[in-house]
Order: sequence, then structure tokens, then C-alpha cells
Amino acid sequence: MSSHVGAVARKDFADASRSRLLWSIIGLLVALTTIGYVAVWAVTDDTSASEMLGFVALPLSVLLPVAALIVGYMAVVGERQSGSLKLLLGLPPNRGDVVFGKLLGRIGVISVAVVLSFLVALVLSIVLFGSLPISDWLAFGAISLLFGLTFVALAVGVSAGVSSRGRSMAIAIGTYLLFVGLWELVTAGPYYVIHDETPPVEAETWYLFVQQFNPLQAYATISSEVVEGDVFPFMFQYGLEPFEAQGMAPAERVSGEAPFYLQEWFGGIAMLIWALIPVLIGYYRFQRTDL
Amino acid sequence: MNAIEITDLTKQYGDVTAVSELSIAIEQGEVFGFLGPNGAGKSTTINMLLDFVRPTSGSATVLGYDTQTETDQISKRVGILPEGYDIYERLTGRKHLEFAIRTKDADDDPDELLARVGLDQADADRPAGGYSKGMRQRLATGMALVGDPELLIMDEPSTGLDPTGIREMQELVQAESERGTTVFFSSHILEHVEAVCDRIGILNQGELIALDTLEGLRESLGDGATMTITVSDPPKAAAETVDAITGVTDVTATGRQLEASVTDPRSKATVITELDALGVTITDVRIDETSLESLFAALVAEDGTVGAGIETQPQYAEVPSEVSQ
Repeated sequence: MSSHVGAVARKDFADASRSRLLWSIIGLLVALTTIGYVAVWAVTDDTSASEMLGFVALPLSVLLPVAALIVGYMAVVGERQSGSLKLLLGLPPNRGDVVFGKLLGRIGVISVAVVLSFLVALVLSIVLFGSLPISDWLAFGAISLLFGLTFVALAVGVSAGVSSRGRSMAIAIGTYLLFVGLWELVTAGPYYVIHDETPPVEAETWYLFVQQFNPLQAYATISSEVVEGDVFPFMFQYGLEPFEAQGMAPAERVSGEAPFYLQEWFGGIAMLIWALIPVLIGYYRFQRTDL
Repeated sequence: MNAIEITDLTKQYGDVTAVSELSIAIEQGEVFGFLGPNGAGKSTTINMLLDFVRPTSGSATVLGYDTQTETDQISKRVGILPEGYDIYERLTGRKHLEFAIRTKDADDDPDELLARVGLDQADADRPAGGYSKGMRQRLATGMALVGDPELLIMDEPSTGLDPTGIREMQELVQAESERGTTVFFSSHILEHVEAVCDRIGILNQGELIALDTLEGLRESLGDGATMTITVSDPPKAAAETVDAITGVTDVTATGRQLEASVTDPRSKATVITELDALGVTITDVRIDETSLESLFAALVAEDGTVGAGIETQPQYAEVPSEVSQ
């Protein structure tokens, strides 16, 4: 990495901001927030502005990762396949500048999407619900931003580590499916094999640690803390987990004081780790590959 | 210090050897033509100089810096026109140049660069995605010229250019050379190399089969030029006289024409004066220099392994990219 990260990031952001696809994604996020607010306002009378924030958490937890993965999965490998990477690397920016510059550029794109959505939420909250729970709004916005950039980073990391667009897409989709559709199987499954029973509500701490180590779970756990009402994670259920444990934070599933790695804030660390590890692996592989 | 120094550079892709123990030293200020058929390993070699591809063994330095450990030092001093690149479709030509100027920390005027590579203002302000192949090549060349580099490395610079564009490219190379810039460029088209290069390296099947000046190559192959002399009377006795001159071989007389191969350039004048002394009336003299293409064909044939796709005619179609995976 050298001093050219910023130049690459700015150029990437400028390039991305002329992409219709990326604007469609931003438009979709903003539209979804708008529809959510208007729909709830139209059908209910007694929803508070803070509860309303909780209602947009579920659609966001579905759409934000998808949007972020689309924003990121082509970042490096797209340039590698088109050949513009050679033009870029022929100039002073080096491979590290490309990976981290791209990462910043794409984080910029998803940040615009999240910030615009939350600005729309701010306006609609005041217009339709008469108030804005400012601290909830800020905290939930920040968590959503972290959630979005986790998936952007994951996708950019993958895009740096592979040599074809197809492979990048496959890994990005595969990882998302793992989080959404297979997580219970890969966590509660081994628990069943080891302990000969499905995990109870008060399960072993190693299990609770692994089970919550999913950005979707982490997003739901932290969101539940900052908005009114429970936010359920958008994950397939196979009935291996006890029904009562749905929507319970890991810290609530241990008796007494929860260890630090089961506390709600640790979900933020889990997201950061899911952002960081793919980027580092992608960077490592990209540094060593023949283009 | 040499501008480029390649030492025993080898690149293998699995069982395929793309470049085999290549060693070349290119002096500062030189215009070096890197010639070879498609797939000879030219792009692989250049990609190793640019650190796009890592050598299996051997090493190289560019402007004295190691191509693998000191790439940052190299890329800020060198102008690069890679093979198989593409531009950023959504950004304008001007934005491309501005980006190159910013990253190179240079103070070039984009308009001046546009003029040098022959792109007009209107084109510069629209997205480069709408550019033709030739315009993309001009834009990329403009980016390579940013910051007045000490060394230009150009991989197949004539790709996609029409004959006018090729001539402009050659003029540009000459102008850069006059400014003291070292130029290293590759081509599979002989005429392009012949016109501008001080020295030529010929690569075939990953190996350097010749490295010399154009004159040196001609000399070493021993066939310099063919003289065709038209005389007023049937040249019977004249043929014997000419055959006796040193540096002249293969004299044949047909009708009113004498044909002779001249290996020593100085013998040409001797041929004329000897014939004049004989009282022969010369009505015409034609001298055909052996073209680089016949030298090239001879060298590749001598090498024993005939590379694919040797071009002896200028070709303006898109060039298939070489082994890069």
C-alpha cells in the first residue's frame, strides 16, 4: 500500500457513481424504506416512531447484504477481466492501493445508499409519525452502515482473491446462503453430533459463540438493543434450535453474567471480523497472483 | 546503468515454457524493438518487467530497480502501454488523463497530451466507452506519456491503429527518443520495428534468437542487397568482370540485365566503375535492400522451430493476446 489509496478510491467512486446498476440498488433501498414507512403509517394507528425503525430492520437485513454484495463482488476481478487493471497498475498505484482503494470506493457507494435511506426515514418519521427518536435513529443507522460495509468488504475481498467474475459471484452468493440458509445446520448440527441432543436454550457457550458469529444474527441482536421491540434475524429455521430461543440475544441464553464474547456489542466485532478476514485473504492472494 | 536489464528470466506455465532464460540489456536512450511472432513470449516478458506476472526464475531490473521488490519506484518513472488492457468505459478521456497526472504527481496539461496523441477535445469530454480501438490506444498512449517518463514500455503499440495512426505512433516514438527517452516496444509486425529501432531483439518460442542492430542483422546473415543493372548490350563479358569483384556473388545475366548479390555495401560502387571502365553503357541501376521480413523468416527458419502467425504484411486487425494464464 502506498499514498495512492485515496486516488484509486476517488476514481472508483466516480466510476461507480456513473453505473446505472449501482444507482438502481440505491434507489431500491430508498424506495423500500419509503414503502415501509408509508405502509405501516397507512395501516396502523398506534405505532411509535421508534417501533417503526424496528420494522425497517427486517427488510434492511434482507436487502442490504444483497445490495452490498452486488456493489462489491466485481470490484477488483471486474477490472482484472476487462483489462483496465493493467492500465491502473501501469500507473503508480500498486496492488495494495487497488484492493484498499476499491474497498474504500465501494464502502462509499454503500454508505451513500444507507445514508440516503436513513435520511428518507428521518423525513418520513417526522412527517408521518410526528417525531424522530434521534438517538435510536443514529444508533440504528450506524449499525446498518456497519452491516452494509461488512458485506461490501466481504465481496471486495472475494473479488480480489479470485481470477474470474463467475467465481467471485459464486463465492459471494455461497457465503450469503451460508449465513441465511445453512447457518443453523452448520452450528446446531455439530452440536447435535457432539452432545447427542439439539442445543437447549441455555446451550454450551462455545455453541452460543459460534451461533451468533453470523453478521445477520449480529445485526438482529444489536438492532434489538437500539430500537423498540425485537428484531428477528433473517435466517432459515430448521427446528434444531429451540423455538423459545428465537430472537433471544446470546447473552440472554446463559445464566448469570455473560462472558464478553456473548454480549451484544460483540456482534459488532463479529461483523468487523467478517469484513476484515476476506479482505486480508483477498489482498494476500491478489499480491501473489499472475494477472 | 542500463534502462532495462533482464537476466536469465524464465516463466513457465505448468509444462509450457513461455520465456526461457532470457537475457537482454537495454541502454539508456535506446529505441529497442522486441520482435517475434504471436505467442513468442513478448507480452509475458513485458508483463514480468511490469510485475503483472512473476518469473519462475531469473530477475530483471528497470532503471536499476528490481522488478519484483521495487515496483513502486519503477511505476512512477516509467510510461506503460500494456497489452490486453482496457479503458474505463464510464469515465471520459480527460478523466483518464487527469487520473494519470494525479497519481504520477505530474503537472502535464491534459490538452497538450491530447494533441500529442491526436485525440480532439470533443472526444476527450465524452465517456471512453464509446471510443474506437484506435482512440483507446491513443488515450492509453497519452496516459503513458504523463510525467515525461525516462522509459516507455509499449506492448504492441500499433494494435488497432490505421496506417496514419501507425505513422503517428512511429513519429511519437522518434520524438520521445529525441527527448532522451528510452523506448522498449514489442511488435509482431516487422515494418513497425524496422522504421524506428536502434536495436532489435527477436524472440521465438520464448528464446532470444537474435539481438543486434538492423545493419548488424543484415551483415551477420550475409545477404545485404541485390543489384539489378540494365545495360545497352547483352552483358556477356560484363558478367565475368562483375563476378570477379570481392563482395559480389551469384551473378546472373539475363537478356540486358545483370543481377548480383552484394554482401559488402562498398562493392556497389566498384561494380558501377568496373562496368564503366569496360565501356558498358548502363541504362538503369536498381538496388533492393534485404528487408527485415526476409531476415526474420530466415532467422526463424534457422532456429528450426517455426513460430505461429509470422506476419510479413502490416496487419490492422486486433491482435490475439498471448499466453497470459
